[in-house]
Formats: sequence, C-alpha cells, structure tokens
Amino acid sequence: MVEILLIKLVVAGLVFAAVLNLAGFHTWVERKQSALIQDRIGANRAPIFGFTMLGMFHGVADVLKMFTKEDIVPDRADKVLHTIAPFFSVFFALVAFAAIPFGPPLHLGDRVIDLQVAKIDAALLYVFAMLSLGVYGVILAGFASRNNYAIMGGLRATAQMISYEIAIGISLIGVIMVYGTMDLAELVRAQGQLLGGWVPFWGIFAQPVGFIVFVTAALAETKRLPFDLPEGESEIIGYFVEYSGMKFGMFFLTDFLETIVVASLATTLFFGGWQVPYLTEDGFLFPWGGQLPVQNWVYVLLGVASFSIKGLIFCFLFMQLRWTLPRFRYDQLMNLGWKGLFPIAVINVVVTAFVLAFLGGSS
Amino acid sequence: MAVKAVQRRELTFWEKLYIPQIICGLKITSTHFFRNLFLHTAHLLGRLKNVPASVTIQYPEERRPLMSRYRSRHRLTLREDNSPRCVGCMLCETVCPARCITIVPGEHPDPDVEKYPIRFDIDLGMCVYCGYCVEVCPEDAIRMDTGILDLAAYSREAMRLDIHELMGPKLRKPISDCSLEFPHICASADGEMKGGWDSVPRSKGS
Amino acid sequence: MPSLTIDGREVSVPKGTTVIQAAEKMGVFIPRYCYHPGLSVAGNCRICLVEVENLPKLQVACNLPVTEGMVVHTGSEQAEDGRRAVLEFLLANHPLDCPVCDQSGECDLQNFYMNFGLYDPRFREQKVKKQKAVQLGPHVMLDQERCILCSRCVRFTDEITKTGEIGIFQRGDRAKIGVYPGTELENPYSANVVDICPVGALTERAFRFKARVWYLSSAQTVCNGCSQGCNMDMHYVLDRPHLNEGARVVRVKPRYNPDVNQWWLCDEGRYGLEWIDKARLQEVRGPGDTANADTNSGKATWEQALGAISKSLAEWKAEDVGARIGVIASAKLTNEELFLIREIFRDALGAQVSAWVPEDPGTCDEFLVKADKNPNTRGATLLNLTSPDAPEAERIVDEALAGNIDLLWVFGYDLVEGFGEQKVRELGEKLKLFVYSGTNENPTQALAHWGLPSAAYVEKDGTFVNHHGRVQRIGRVFSPLGDSREDWRILLELGGLLGLQLDWRDPQEIFLGLADAETAFAGMSYGTIGDQGVEVACTKPTEGVTAPW
Ligand code: SF4
Ligand code: SF4
Ligand code: SF4
Ligand code: SF4
Ligand code: FES
Repeated sequence: MVEILLIKLVVAGLVFAAVLNLAGFHTWVERKQSALIQDRIGANRAPIFGFTMLGMFHGVADVLKMFTKEDIVPDRADKVLHTIAPFFSVFFALVAFAAIPFGPPLHLGDRVIDLQVAKIDAALLYVFAMLSLGVYGVILAGFASRNNYAIMGGLRATAQMISYEIAIGISLIGVIMVYGTMDLAELVRAQGQLLGGWVPFWGIFAQPVGFIVFVTAALAETKRLPFDLPEGESEIIGYFVEYSGMKFGMFFLTDFLETIVVASLATTLFFGGWQVPYLTEDGFLFPWGGQLPVQNWVYVLLGVASFSIKGLIFCFLFMQLRWTLPRFRYDQLMNLGWKGLFPIAVINVVVTAFVLAFLGGSS
Repeated sequence: MAVKAVQRRELTFWEKLYIPQIICGLKITSTHFFRNLFLHTAHLLGRLKNVPASVTIQYPEERRPLMSRYRSRHRLTLREDNSPRCVGCMLCETVCPARCITIVPGEHPDPDVEKYPIRFDIDLGMCVYCGYCVEVCPEDAIRMDTGILDLAAYSREAMRLDIHELMGPKLRKPISDCSLEFPHICASADGEMKGGWDSVPRSKGS
Repeated sequence: MPSLTIDGREVSVPKGTTVIQAAEKMGVFIPRYCYHPGLSVAGNCRICLVEVENLPKLQVACNLPVTEGMVVHTGSEQAEDGRRAVLEFLLANHPLDCPVCDQSGECDLQNFYMNFGLYDPRFREQKVKKQKAVQLGPHVMLDQERCILCSRCVRFTDEITKTGEIGIFQRGDRAKIGVYPGTELENPYSANVVDICPVGALTERAFRFKARVWYLSSAQTVCNGCSQGCNMDMHYVLDRPHLNEGARVVRVKPRYNPDVNQWWLCDEGRYGLEWIDKARLQEVRGPGDTANADTNSGKATWEQALGAISKSLAEWKAEDVGARIGVIASAKLTNEELFLIREIFRDALGAQVSAWVPEDPGTCDEFLVKADKNPNTRGATLLNLTSPDAPEAERIVDEALAGNIDLLWVFGYDLVEGFGEQKVRELGEKLKLFVYSGTNENPTQALAHWGLPSAAYVEKDGTFVNHHGRVQRIGRVFSPLGDSREDWRILLELGGLLGLQLDWRDPQEIFLGLADAETAFAGMSYGTIGDQGVEVACTKPTEGVTAPW
C-alpha cells in the first residue's frame, strides 16, 4: 500500500514539476515566438554570469521580480477572498492534470505502473469539472477587489467561460460516443486501433468537426487570444486589475497552465494521446507487414515522447494563433459561442449518433 | 451633423467560414516565424550574416545615427584656454520657455570679455529641448550637439546640470576637483572622467 | 507766444522755447542723445534732426528756437534719412557688445536703431579700440568704446554738481570721456551720470552684471533717506532669486518731479536701501511660554503677540493709568501710522506719545540732501507728535527708568544707539511690557519683550510729508518679507482687539480720516496726491534750507 502511495507521489511530482516548468518555459517561448513573428529579436538580456541563453533567464527574472514586488491589497477589498482567488485559479488548473495519461503503462518487474496520476473512470468529467472550477478564481478575484472594473472583468470572464463550456461538453459527446468510454486511459488505448488497417483511429479522424469545435471553445475557455477579453492585459481592464506581485503572477501562470491542459486534452482526445502510429506493446506492426519488436521501456519512452511532442505542437499552435488573430468583440464572442459552436456541436452529436447507428455500433 | 454611411463589403461565404481565413493568417505569421527561426539559427552558426532576421535596433549597443540638427543634451563651448565661451549675457535664460536655465554672471578679469557665468545650470528635468537657447546665443557658447540622449538620473538634483557638466559633456555629478577661481580653466573639463556617475558613491545634493 | 506747426498740428509756446520742447509738449517725441531738459543745450549729437520748411538743411530740434509760423516735420523721409545717417556715424566705432552691456534693453542706441535705423552696416574698417571697464569713481564705471560723446555727463558735473570731474579728451575718433587726472567722480550725486548717459558707456557699479534690465519690474515710490523725499522708481526682481543674491531691490532710478528732485537722486539715497532685504526681522519674537520674561528668544505668532499686548493695554486702560504707557514713535512712519498711534495711544489710552527723537544732524547740502534723515518729520509735526507739548523720547525713557511707566512701545527706533545698552537693559528689567516693532534686527529688538517684525516702507502704502510740506505717497512696491506686517495693520488690529471704533481698512481710508481730522491735510486724498504729491495747506519748511529752484 505504502509502495503504491510512494509511486503515485513520484508520478504526481514528476507531472507537476514538468507542467510547472513547462508553464515557466512558455513565457519565454511566447516572447521569442512573438518576436520572430514580428521580425524582432525578443528577450535577449538578463544574463547570468554573462550568459543570456537567448534570453531564457527572463522567466527567472520575472519570477524574482514578481516575488519581490509590493503586494498591494486595496483598502476596501475583501482581504481573505482577494488572497485566495489566485490560489483557486492555479490549483484547479494544476489538478486537472491528474487524470491525464501521458504514457502507456510501465512494467517494472512484475509491477505495472500507470503513467497517470489518478486513474479515474470518468476522468473526462473530472478534468472538465476542474477546468470549470477555475472560473471561481476569476469571479472571486473580480468580486473581492471591490473595483467596478475588476468585477466587470470577472463577470465577462464568467459569462464567457460558462458559455463555451457547453460547446466543449457537447463537442466531446461525439468522442465519447465513438469510443464508448469516459476513462481517458481507456480512450487513448481505443485510439491505438487502426482504421482500415492503415489510418490510426484517432479522434481527429473520427470527429473532425468535434475537434474544431473543441479547440475553439477550449481556447475561449482558457481565455487565450483571440478570446482574451476578460484579461485584455493592458487595453481593457480585466478581473486582476487590483492584483500585483506574485498574486498577479499566479493568474499569469494559470493562463499558461490552462493552455497546457487544453493542449494535452486535445492530444489525448483527438490525437491518440501517447499512441505512436503502428506501435503496439510488442513493437511496431506496420500495415505492409513489417515488424520491429521493442522493449517495454522503449515503448513507454516512445509513448511519453509522442504525448509530449503532440502537446507541444498544440502549445505552439495556440501561440501562433494568438499572434495571428485579433481579439473578438464581446458580442461576436457570444454569437460565436451560442450561434456557431453550440449548434455545430449538437449537429455533430446527432450525425455521429446516426452514423454509429448505421454502422451498427462498431465499438 | 452630416452622416456618412460607409458601405462595408459583404463577406463572401469562404470568408464567413472563418477557418480558411485563419489558416491564411497563420500562413503569414508562420512564414515569418520559420524564416526568422532559420535565419537566427544560421546567424548563430555564423552563416548568412548579411540577411537580417529582425528589423529592430539593439538600443544601447546599436544606435541610430542622429541627424546633424538633432537637439541632444546641451554643452557649453570652450575657448582655447578651456574657459567657457559664454559671456553670461543671460539671453538664453531670458528666452528659455521652460525657465530651466539659471545663470549668475560675474566680472571677468579681461575687460574685453567683461562678463562670464559664475554659475550656469540647466535643469534638464524641465527643459523642453526647443533649442531656443542655442539659437539666441550671440557667442555660439551653447550648443545641443553632444549626441547624448539617454538622460536619466536617480534624483531631480542630478538632472540639474551645472557648469562643469555642461562644459565637459562626459562629466556627471559630483565633481570635486574644479574650483571656479579665475581664470576659469576647468581641470575637469578636458575629457577626464573625474567623479563619474557610476564610479563615485553618490552624495546627496551637490 | 509764437505759434508753429509740428507734424501738421499747430501749437503756441513761449518765446525762446526750442522745437524739441515744443514737440514734447504736444506729445511728439524727437530722438535725442545730447539734449537733456535739465542741462544746457549742446547740440552735438545731431540725432534730433527735423525738417523745417523753407530752411535748406535739416535742423537740430534741440537747439532751434521756435519762430512764428514755423512748419516742422519730425517724421519726414528727409528727417529720417538724416537721423539714420547720424546713427550710422555714431555706431561706426561702437563695439556693439550689447550682450554684455548693462544698458541693453534701455539703450537709446538700440531703441533708435530699431525705430528708424535698420540699415545694413557699411563700416568695414577696423574699429577704434578704447578702454573698457574704467572705474570713474565709487559708483560709476565707464566704457569708453560705447560712449557716443554726447557730453551730457560733462555738462552734469559742470552745471549741476559744479564739480567738473568729467571731461572729453583727445579729438576726432580718438576723443574719449574721462575724469581729469588726479580726480575721481565722487561727488554726492555722481550716479546721476549713469541715468543721463543715453548709452551703456556709464554704468552703475552696484548694478553691474547683477541682472538684465528686462528682468526688472518697476514701481513708483519716494526715497526715505532724508526729509527731502526724492521721487524714485524702484526696480526689483522677485521671480529670479538667483540674481542679486536674492535681494529684491536691484536698483533705483530717479523719477522726475519738478518740485522735489527734478531728474536727480543723491548717491546716499540711491545706495542706502540694502536694509530692505538684508538682516530683516522676519518673525514675531516673544517671551515664549513664560509671560514677561526678559528675553524674547521664543518664536511666537501674531495672534499671541497682539493678544498679550492688547490684554495688558486693556488692563491699564481699565485702571485708568494710561499715563503709565509710553510710546516712542518715529518720524520714519507714515502719516497714517502716526495718526493711528495718536488715535489709539494718545487719545484712547491716554499714553505719552513721542515721535520726537533727537538725532545728530547728518550730512546736508544746498541741493537735495537734507540734514534731517527722517522722511516724515514734517508729518509728525503736523500731527502734533513732535511739538513742544509732546514729550521727547528722552523724557519717556527717563520716566520709564524712574518707574513711572510700565509699558513702552518703540517703533523702529534703536534705543541702544541713542541711550546706551545699559539703560535699555535696565528698561527691559523694569518695564512690565516692552514692545519693539521694527524692520531690521538690532540690539533694542533683542532686549525688548516682544519683537514685532514690521514691513519696510516700500512694502506698505502711505504718505510722507517732506521738509517742504509736500505730501507724497510712497506706494507699495512688493509685499512684506517673511512674517512681517505693515505697522498700520498691526495698529488697526490692536485697535480692534482693544474694542476701539476704528472703521478703516487700509491706508487710503486712514488717510481720509486723517484729512478730516487735521486741517493741514484738509480735502486731500490719494487721488489728489497723485504721483507727484501736493503741498500741505501751511507751507513752512522746518529748516532754513530751500531748494535752488
Ligand atoms: S532647449 Fe529650450 S527649454 Fe531647453 S534650455 Fe534651451 S531654451 Fe530652455
Ligand atoms: S546666450 Fe550664450 S553667451 Fe549668453 S548667457 Fe547664454 S550661453 Fe552664455
Ligand atoms: S550702449 Fe547700447 S548699443 Fe552699445 S553695447 Fe550697450 S546696449 Fe548695445
Ligand atoms: S559717457 Fe554717456 S553721457 Fe557721457 S558723453 Fe558718453 S555717452 Fe554721453
Ligand atoms: S539732441 Fe539735438 S543734437 Fe543731440
């Protein structure tokens, strides 16, 4: 029992360390990527012992700055809620990772270790619950600041997140129907099948429309550009207008964490998670008959790498989108959510149901 | 009020789909991204140095050349004996719209010069860089051609240039080794960085 | 009375008038350098050229007596051409170092060049070099290069002071102004040459390089240096404290008043104004917490001071022992203030009041300087504060020392100087209340129980009566320094605290009250006094000296 607990702790520690570091790394990526897109150089200062590492230490400098900055709490703010709000945000973004499988089960001797912090049957629901709870951080921040602008920002954010959650939920019903499970580990395993012997049976092929709706709605859910109205860092004032120092930093961090969550979710649901095409537990089984046996640890390693690469590509894509698209107007945002994504998702579910019924329940 | 109705172009179906348009946009940003990524990598490896990967200027190291008529920080021009050309006529003090020049004139031992500034301060914190002082000076004694633009200081006092800092553009407060005795040949003014800003612990005032 | 036409307008003037005077009378200004209304006519600068019909050449207006039917054009093409040519000659050797010249801004060379010169200089030769920065005397600097040899200064020393120190030496373009060998320009009126010099050749040493003339503000006032009360313009600078070592008064210039000082001012008055800005008493000094302590080292507020003083005064008044109050006023106070002192202390409280402070007579001469160095002795006399039935200051001090006086208020007079420190110290110990109000720090102030800072005379409005019986307004030039207050304000406030019915609010109203009360001032107001003053009803100079005019 203790052993299981230890193993879980190690896995959880690994996951959180990786995710948190990745989020920090994101700040650098974001800077550099936007710079390259805009023909600039981007962060290239903040040397440590004369090494700038392409400006990578800016993130470190940022954190130091955030920690040493004065933490201003408005006089009339609700002190307790004002303090708790950013923790809410970060916490829920972090725990959402618990249910995401990032690699195939590892065999260590006779022990099988799931590369997933928590094995939950309705993992999908869990992840969404956590993501939705994140909205409390936002609304609390806006409310506790006792600032009209903050509360408006908070309300905008809440409305937006709730609206898009519906679209996300419905877009995923298709996926659930196709694979017939809500357990993410199960779902990933199901995507390992081949379609017609050649094409991997990934969500993107089974549910292309669902994928588009999901990605769009997830972007909105995480308040990334072009849906970053609630934050509008400097132009329109957001819910964290009264935050400074590391509390502000936590909201900032949440932003990146949620991006990573969404990227991993998209990977898990639509791109086969840790699946590598034609790779099974026994090795590569190519459709033309070729075969390449691999050891279990290579298999796991390849799986984790596959998951990571796919996730990173999504992160990259989200960044690229951010620096490509202008921000939506609030009415456009609501229109898109309710009149665009929502009906499309519903139709997608209906069509999926018909197709499944027609095929006679393939799964 | 006249109303001008602006005819907006109807979006085509293709545009309304939005996703193709997003892909078009992504194509543009991605082109830049990958091109610059490639070029930066090439630069790191010492190749293709002549193809610029960015249009920005790395400010403190690289500077844009200034136009010759650019108005930068002031200086007081010197006579051959390193004393100020200025005759303390106070015309610049008079014309200065920001009232940031302070001159206290004194009597020069040479009756052909007659007058000289005992004190000559310009408060750069108030200066609006209009250049009137330069224009009005009958002696070509004040110019704004030092090319110094990065004027920043930790105190208002330090923004107030005194006659030493104006005579030797490299000097910053506090300046310890100059006495304004006559004839005024300021020892600190000939380029020696005495009392430079970063080398000397800053004393309050002076 | 010949009549003539100047610029198309006819005017009749007495015989012997010159054209320049006639034009002036009509308000037509003819440029001039050598002509000065107070000096003889020299006619050597030629800038005053005018065109006279039926005369073949241009004429110098300053030396041309009017004749019947004369038709003069001051601004015709020909006249302007002539003047321009003269100006070009005058400027041929001129150094044009206006930037360092103290005259620039009020220089007639600059003004006339801008008015009608505006030619392109044609003088390509080497300019004649002469001496610069020559010290002529204690007050005057000479720059020979800038001199245009108008000879005004020479005539001034010849005709007005009759000292004749200045002369013109050499000839032609080497001619230059200077003092005769072995002499210095040090007559009591020497600085007047600076005023009359139309250019920057003669400048004041005291003003030298202190400021530029365009920084100066100007206000009319009169000199308080002696009982002559010369009219003057005070030039001051308030907004550039780095100039003139922070002093406000930069210089004074005589103001023309035909009945008092004409165009002149003595050097003593001109340079005797430092006290206005230096060593001023700027805060109320009182005994601090302990009432009636001997020292006034503590700082206090006006409310405390006046409250305490008026409380004691009211007690004396209630006990009807007003005679135990002594006031030594001063002939340096204005009529208004003396009047208030009389009303409050003598009439309401029954105190012994004196403005009669015997002093050693100072220097005097036949011209402007008077021996009586108090500007308002005549006013105090007219208000019966120096007349024989008013006690002398000495008597008040003696009575105080004898213990017959409990409260002494001294206005501005330095008792230590007059009676010695020992006596004043004794006074401080004996008296129940010893108040000193004055403008500057002095030993008496330090020994008094209360030291009240009062405004200098240029910081307040009011009138003086000069020795000749002329009531002149001093005007207010700038506001009182520091915490100091005008004496009239102090007195009015005190009167109010004592519950007296003094319903005046400012010197103007006090003066109207004074005019009602005193026949000598009957019918006068600040309006009728104007800026030249008026004589009081009975004119009887206090001294035998009369002005030469
Ligand atoms: S540049 Fe203009 S504002 Fe600045 S000192 Fe000169 S005159 Fe004054
Ligand atoms: S205008 Fe020129 S000569 Fe005159 S005070 Fe200014 S700097 Fe000196
Ligand atoms: S005298 Fe007049 S013209 Fe001559 S230098 Fe002085 S200001 Fe200029
Ligand atoms: S010094 Fe002045 S007053 Fe005297 S002659 Fe020369 S210009 Fe005239
Ligand atoms: S003013 Fe007439 S000649 Fe000088």
